[in-house]
Amino acid sequence: MTRHALDLTINGENHQLMVEPHWSLLHVLRRELGMTGTKENCLEAECGVCTVLLDGKAVNSCILLAEQARGRSIVTIEGLGDPEHLHPLQAAFIEHGAVQCGYCIPGMILTAKSFLDERPGRMPSEAEVREALSGTLCRCTGYQKIVDAVIAAARQMNSWPEAARRAS
Amino acid sequence: MSTYERRVAGKRLKRIDGVGKVTGKHVYASDFALPGMLFGKILRSSEAHARIVRLDLTRALALPGVRTILTARDVPQILFGTAIKDRPVFASDVVRFRGEAIAAVAATSLEIAEAAVRAIEIAYEPLPAVFDMEDALKPGAPLVHGGWSDYQALPVFDREGNISGRSSIAAGDLEAGFAACHRVYEHRFTTQHVHPGYTEPRTAIASWDGNGDVSVWCNTQLPFDMKNMLAEVLDLPANKVRVVVPGIGGGFGGKLRVGVEHFAAWLARKSKRPVKVMTTSEEELTDAYPRQPTVITLRTGVSRDGLLIAREGKVLLDCGAYANSGPATAALALQMLAGPYRTPHFSYESVAVYTNKGSTGSFRAPAGPMGNFAVESQIDLIADDLGIDPLEFRLRNVYREGDTGPAGDTVTSVSIEESLRRAADAIGWKDRKPGPGRGKGLACSWWLTTGGSSGVYVKINPDGTVTVVSGAVELGSGAMTGAAQILAEELGVDLSDINATDVDTHLSPYDYGAQGSRTAFSVGNACIAAAKDLRRQIGELVGPLWNVAPESVLLEGKGVVSGNNRLSLAEVASLSQRTGGGLISHGTFIQPMPTFDPTRVKNHPSPAWTSHSFHTHAVDLSVDPVTGEVSINRYVVAQDVGFAINPTYIEGQIEGGVAQGIGQALSEEIVYDGGRVLNANLTDYKMPTMMDVPRVECILIEKPSVNGPYGAKGVGEPPCIQPPAAIANAIAVAAGVRMQALPITAEKIALARLKECD
Repeated sequence: MTRHALDLTINGENHQLMVEPHWSLLHVLRRELGMTGTKENCLEAECGVCTVLLDGKAVNSCILLAEQARGRSIVTIEGLGDPEHLHPLQAAFIEHGAVQCGYCIPGMILTAKSFLDERPGRMPSEAEVREALSGTLCRCTGYQKIVDAVIAAARQMNSWPEAARRAS
Repeated sequence: MSTYERRVAGKRLKRIDGVGKVTGKHVYASDFALPGMLFGKILRSSEAHARIVRLDLTRALALPGVRTILTARDVPQILFGTAIKDRPVFASDVVRFRGEAIAAVAATSLEIAEAAVRAIEIAYEPLPAVFDMEDALKPGAPLVHGGWSDYQALPVFDREGNISGRSSIAAGDLEAGFAACHRVYEHRFTTQHVHPGYTEPRTAIASWDGNGDVSVWCNTQLPFDMKNMLAEVLDLPANKVRVVVPGIGGGFGGKLRVGVEHFAAWLARKSKRPVKVMTTSEEELTDAYPRQPTVITLRTGVSRDGLLIAREGKVLLDCGAYANSGPATAALALQMLAGPYRTPHFSYESVAVYTNKGSTGSFRAPAGPMGNFAVESQIDLIADDLGIDPLEFRLRNVYREGDTGPAGDTVTSVSIEESLRRAADAIGWKDRKPGPGRGKGLACSWWLTTGGSSGVYVKINPDGTVTVVSGAVELGSGAMTGAAQILAEELGVDLSDINATDVDTHLSPYDYGAQGSRTAFSVGNACIAAAKDLRRQIGELVGPLWNVAPESVLLEGKGVVSGNNRLSLAEVASLSQRTGGGLISHGTFIQPMPTFDPTRVKNHPSPAWTSHSFHTHAVDLSVDPVTGEVSINRYVVAQDVGFAINPTYIEGQIEGGVAQGIGQALSEEIVYDGGRVLNANLTDYKMPTMMDVPRVECILIEKPSVNGPYGAKGVGEPPCIQPPAAIANAIAVAAGVRMQALPITAEKIALARLKECD
């Protein structure tokens, strides 16, 4: 199949790629770029483990053509925080015991980030968190500690000054 | 128990592998890749039982990028299996279920491999098939395995035709018992296929080296078993097979056995390139190791004052086309029919059956939810009929300390009464029907801690950190964090000083694997043994330097002390490297086998249980009067964990197990129409989402076991046992309908209510 040039901006870095037109963003991230923090499972947008942020909004990268991400900002779990400087969501997930096998966690954290970023300064209710994150399946935790972690992270992020919030 | 204050064990500390998992840096098997790697894909049968009359690879082989296609002709005719060696790598002349592997392709991309699979031409001649386990037992039923009597099998199982195993446990005088009963009740219960639902598909990457050795990176729960199973299937000595588990995205018993590893290894051998094989959701729901469906019949006799006198029970279990762990699971169901209740006269029989459906396996607490659903539903039926409160009925009949278990074994560290009382108190049991459409239910159970053997190498590094090399897989439960907490406690260091390595069967000491609620239990004990040996080594090293008895040397505060003498652990480790080989020890553990009465047991592979745990679930739920939809208001679990090594991750096990149990209770089922799965995708296979699972209130009871580290008991499997029974019991109160077939969907409740109104 013929490949064509595609520039993608991932975690603030530009990547010049040659892609086949039918490749998903998930395929490009994992197979072409070796960015395996974004996970792979059902490939039909049911499980949510492949979630990334596209212009700040959570999307399932398994059903998004890489081409559709042209000219837009992609954030993956690798772009969120590093081991020395964890994002509050990452720190809260560890702190609250919300991580078990961990395979759903990158998608869960990015979905939570998209949800919290849409409503700066407002504390979400438990029911709102559950609804917002219900597109990501977790089979280990029973979800409660994930909900607790998201609420704790929201509390911390809401205490930040406006500028820090925009930069996160 | 010692009264000293523990610093590390028992604390809510953060797991040791958390940072890698939240930053995307933790490498799972599915993330793993090798240079030059090909992608493998499997051609699967579209027929449930048929003869393959034509298999033509010509068009598929001609596709550019196809490197290898394998069929039964290309591999030795080896049969493999857990209890019975009944399964080929590829079906040769006959397929026995829809989804069975017939050929495998390796190609330069997944798309090409998929195209090649579609290009293989195949024709079948249908054979008579059997899909229902009760039909499979009828005279003249089609045989799933015509050659069953030639198979190699563990001698313990009693087999015949479509019966892959029959076991029994009995004691007392059943006829006399029933004759003496005030009332006798008979009920039938059915349970369904449910998938473990791990979020990471089963994956293997295989590569052969110049010595003819194969390395397989995969997400198995049992690396050492996998190594042996692969050696068998590949017709190699076991020392030629190396299994590495980089990371595993859930298992729950679904990743115990060969799934895709053998395909990757065979394709890699023939193509002379590394090959990766990863399952799709469709493959997971048609050819994996889901929980077996069962039909359970119970006949139970009681005295006027509600004491259990006699019980007869039979479990039929549908293994599907290949037995795998089915016969052993069916046998395990017998303990579920017995406990945790005193019953003087009983006879329990299990029959595992072949059908032309996908194979099955050992999903978390194999046999647990099925047996418990039957027993605990019937207890409520009996108690209500006798006009005795179901809690009170249970309290009259449950085991007491030192009681005799079903196989004549002794039941110890019994806490069932406490768990019943605490769960009932927490849910507000006195008000069992708080309002219209609302009701409360409870169910109790027992389970075992398998305690298979563990070895660990523990090394104290010259910087004072500690490395633990174990053959145990961290499945996600936090078990290895728990074991590390025990090790840190014993060595006087912090949890953050401990590193745990990945499993590599060439390097890691043996471990029985992540199964049977035993990882923290057995690895924790092995760590205690290793620490004891390290204390001895350190005492012998510094004792002569300080002129003190080696036994007087203690490890505390990251240091080595005796009287006024003190060195840091780092200094002592460094000293040991300069003067000897460094500080390293090999700690081991195996739980002693209990004694039992062999006259009570027939053909049972694991008749007596060890380090029993006891637990009660209580639920408060509402049922929509029109739609039948169930909403859970509160859910309480009181579980005896012996000693809570890390309460946070124990709660995590309970909360996650309850979620899986709610799925089995209300929504999950691999739906077969004859031999065809109707819902082989995650849209139609309905696992609970964040909207479906309530907050689970966890009550941890600590009644120490004799063998566990600091008294700990196995924790992982029990939480998914009781949800179906507890929920069914609450639905009976809330909606006035008794549901005896899982899953209890809203539709079934609504229809049952309509029938009640007729």
